[in-house]
Amino acid sequence: MLQDILVTGLVNGGVYALLAIGFSLIFGVARIVNIAHTAFYMLAAYCFYALLVKAGLGFVPSAVLAVASVTLLAVVCYRLVIEPVREHEAAVLIATIALALIFQELMLFSFGGHYLGIPSTLEGGVRILGVSIPYQRMLILVVAAAMLTLVWFVLYRTRLGLAIRATANDLEVASLMGMNVHRVAMATVAISVALAAIAGVVVAPVFVVDPFMWLAPLVTMLAIVVLGGLGSLKGSLIGALIIGYVEAITVFAMPAGAYLKGAVALGIMVVVLLARPEGLFGVAFEEER
Amino acid sequence: MLRSIILAAATALVATAVQAQTIKIAILGPMSFVQGENHWAGAEMARDEINKAGGINVGGKRMQVELVRADTNEIQSVPDATNAMERVITRDKADFLIGGFRSEAVLAMQEVAMDYKKIFLGAGAAHSKLGANVEASYERYKYWFRVTPVKDTDLVRTLFAVLNTIAQQIRTELKTDMPKVAILAEKAVWTEALIAAAQKNLPAMKMEVVGTWQPSATATDVTAELSAIDRSGAQLVFTMLSGPVGISVGRQMGERNMKAVAWGINVEAQKEEFWNAAAGKAQFVSTLDTFSEVEMTPKTVPFVKAFKARFKKAPTYNAGTYDAIMLLKTAIEQAGTTNADRLVPVLEKISHVGAAAVLEFDKRHDPVWAPGKNTGLAVQWQEGKKVPFWPPNVKGMQPFKMPAR
Amino acid sequence: MYRVRRAWAELRNEVLVLPSRTLVLAWVVALLALPALYGDAYVMRILTMTCIFAIFAASWDLLAGYTGQVNFGHALFFGAGAYTSALMSHKLGITPWATIWAGAAVAMLFGFLVGYLCLRLRGSYLSLATLAFPLIALGLLFAFSDFSGGELGISGLRRLTLTPTANYYVASISMLVIVFGLWRLADSKFGIVLHAIRDDEVAARASGINTPLYKLTVFAVAAAAAGFAGALFAHYLRVAGPSTLEVALSFQVVIWGIFGGVATIYGPVAAVFILYPLTEWLGTFRAVGELRLLIFAVIVLLVLLFMPRGLTPWVRDKIETQCPRCKQRNGVWRKACRLCGAALQAQVAGAQRLVGHQ
Repeated sequence: MLQDILVTGLVNGGVYALLAIGFSLIFGVARIVNIAHTAFYMLAAYCFYALLVKAGLGFVPSAVLAVASVTLLAVVCYRLVIEPVREHEAAVLIATIALALIFQELMLFSFGGHYLGIPSTLEGGVRILGVSIPYQRMLILVVAAAMLTLVWFVLYRTRLGLAIRATANDLEVASLMGMNVHRVAMATVAISVALAAIAGVVVAPVFVVDPFMWLAPLVTMLAIVVLGGLGSLKGSLIGALIIGYVEAITVFAMPAGAYLKGAVALGIMVVVLLARPEGLFGVAFEEER
Repeated sequence: MLRSIILAAATALVATAVQAQTIKIAILGPMSFVQGENHWAGAEMARDEINKAGGINVGGKRMQVELVRADTNEIQSVPDATNAMERVITRDKADFLIGGFRSEAVLAMQEVAMDYKKIFLGAGAAHSKLGANVEASYERYKYWFRVTPVKDTDLVRTLFAVLNTIAQQIRTELKTDMPKVAILAEKAVWTEALIAAAQKNLPAMKMEVVGTWQPSATATDVTAELSAIDRSGAQLVFTMLSGPVGISVGRQMGERNMKAVAWGINVEAQKEEFWNAAAGKAQFVSTLDTFSEVEMTPKTVPFVKAFKARFKKAPTYNAGTYDAIMLLKTAIEQAGTTNADRLVPVLEKISHVGAAAVLEFDKRHDPVWAPGKNTGLAVQWQEGKKVPFWPPNVKGMQPFKMPAR
Repeated sequence: MYRVRRAWAELRNEVLVLPSRTLVLAWVVALLALPALYGDAYVMRILTMTCIFAIFAASWDLLAGYTGQVNFGHALFFGAGAYTSALMSHKLGITPWATIWAGAAVAMLFGFLVGYLCLRLRGSYLSLATLAFPLIALGLLFAFSDFSGGELGISGLRRLTLTPTANYYVASISMLVIVFGLWRLADSKFGIVLHAIRDDEVAARASGINTPLYKLTVFAVAAAAAGFAGALFAHYLRVAGPSTLEVALSFQVVIWGIFGGVATIYGPVAAVFILYPLTEWLGTFRAVGELRLLIFAVIVLLVLLFMPRGLTPWVRDKIETQCPRCKQRNGVWRKACRLCGAALQAQVAGAQRLVGHQ
């Protein structure tokens, strides 16, 4: 059982990390709580399904196209819907909720309310430490690790990353220093949604795809970013692993209580917040100007 | 000015006169989802069949059937369902109400229908509370009849009957005396009684319960449960699943090449889309079902064939609205009236041969469960098709298959 | 007689001078007179639900709009009120007229609890933490399903009153009383403190205001109102189920609140009265019906783009102006302030006012 927990926790944690880091990035830079983040994850899954099953393209072209189109859509949505109301935090909040609802309804309308299954990219499995893991889940883990490394590289070794970090740190001063804050924000949106879209593409074959699939990961992802500290990437990663393991432990140790895994994860988040109101690695923000 | 008033009055008069010639039946269900689609499809088949044959004979007068479509959106919102119910009764002036799916919503909808004393035929919710209300407060709830499915406690009887048959097959093929059974039931109120019954009765049926696992109804990942079941060495997984977890179970069991076979209630596995939803991996998953091209009654095969020809997919149990409307027709013609109070005693004593089963009602207005009359059937997914295998004595049944060891 | 003339004078001088107040008066009158004019059971059902949700939305605004505690889990209080009232009336046989107050009281306790847990949280942390509470409550409800009815909830509840009209009056009068009460609370010195807490809690603390006490009180009051609405809801539908705690419901009230205009109390109420019947009406058309949530979301988005502060502030700005000298509101057609006489519009055609609104 211990091996099961180790492996399952790692895989779940990897998936959550992909989602949480993207969300944290947008929040850190643009101060936007993007409720529609997991809705983009859902869109990518549907896009992948449409391209793979309906249009019959191969795995790699479908995946690349799905990620690219969802990212593009996100940037367009940002320009049209979010940017005009940037100053009004409350309005941004429900704009993202409204966007998520629109995507949900569009998918419900186009594909119907029933559950869809996407064929796995890789068939078969392997036994590690006595635990049988399908290759698809290993793929998720590998992709998650690769993406996280890539994000780290972009953020800490490129000029764009420098600009993103500077803007996250202090918007006004970054602007004074000559960085185009709007472009940086758009780039951040693009990177963040691309991460969510990649998550959607690799994860969707493992789970079922339906128009409401964005709600459950949303809650878990919010729990993770809050737990880790909003705006802190390291916090999001560690939070994702913690929550991934907590869920795995709940399910394996308490088989009759498996349905409680969501509530337990949230409970842990509340407990951590009581002790540290900014999350584990969060920075308490001064009042924004 | 006067002319337009007269014209309007005349049109209204004609309209009401025309309206009085039809019997309005409201079909209430979640129309964006498979359940509502089937509600409507079954109803349309009944309406077209009746109207083509001349309509319903109400005490000498022939009246056509008119359907009112009401989207309850019950899966997402219970108040929407009650609003829809109120609307079809007061605005659309429906005479009869058929449908429903989500038990929480149907309980609320039942209240509205009983307020207005309209006959409400259930075609989707299995919860026994709906019938218990009839017994507790007969005068108020007598207008409710459940057409499909049989109530949850009766489903158990079919489940155990089939379980016995499969266990016998396991005993013979795998040469083991006490087949090991793992119970995999979603965490929900409707499974509580089933789990308790299983845990109590299986040892007496010479089967060993190796464990009970309860994922959430919307769980998308059952690796944990399946790993544990693998380790326990179970040969049979007794499923009680109504949500999308049923798809995950089917798919992941196939992906792991599990040697155990799944039998039980798996509502998702009753749908045509299940095979694709499980990405072609759900071989050998078996479940309780209602419609298949076998002769449960003389009407079953013609109905299923006609349904498939018209709608290009097989009916789910919600298409029992067809039986509900046909039942109403028989009752109305017998009573000679559409008056609800006079129809109730007729319905209580009726024995109607439907497409799914022979319909009779007990004192809770639940369909009577009886072998040969109304038991449901069992199907197994083999190579992308739902193959019926139980009850064995019915014409058209095929053998149950198990994974190769 | 004196009272009548005084009332008429008040009416003319306080209410009818301002278009917004006149609208509110007209709305109250229409609401109360509806059953007499148009007794359709379906319409009354829709409006009863609207009134119940209006109480819910107004309570959220007090918490989120005025005090800045943007609560993403307001459905917890709604559900707590619904379940408490349901359990007490169903299992203990107490009359619903008593249990709805019990529902409000239990919801108030939950309000204290949530408020206490969230005392140290700020901004988005608070919002996301509050999102968790209804979900934890749902998990607990499912765990103790013998007690709570699990996914079915508790059904067969007794009605408060028997006829649709009586139910409608119960809902609408409760709504008017509660919303008015909340508005008076928000408009008082208490409300000013709440504004201070929202704008700069540190400064408020530095000024000597006991902000934790105020925050706890607001949580309690908002929770009580939401719980009352939940109890009314349960007894109207005769079912109290897990749908009263859904994330969707919490999001819905956030949308209503922000769409209508935060920190107004009447804004969310207006939003509910516009959006809820609208979505229901859209649902009656077969072609459009299945798309109604989509249309709802699109409308919300469009309105947000043009009226980012919400609907009612925008409408109010169109029909009223603020006097630059005494800061009181006047009808937009007026040339001079009704109270201090200052010029409201520029005296010279085409000239800009140097001192603007707000």
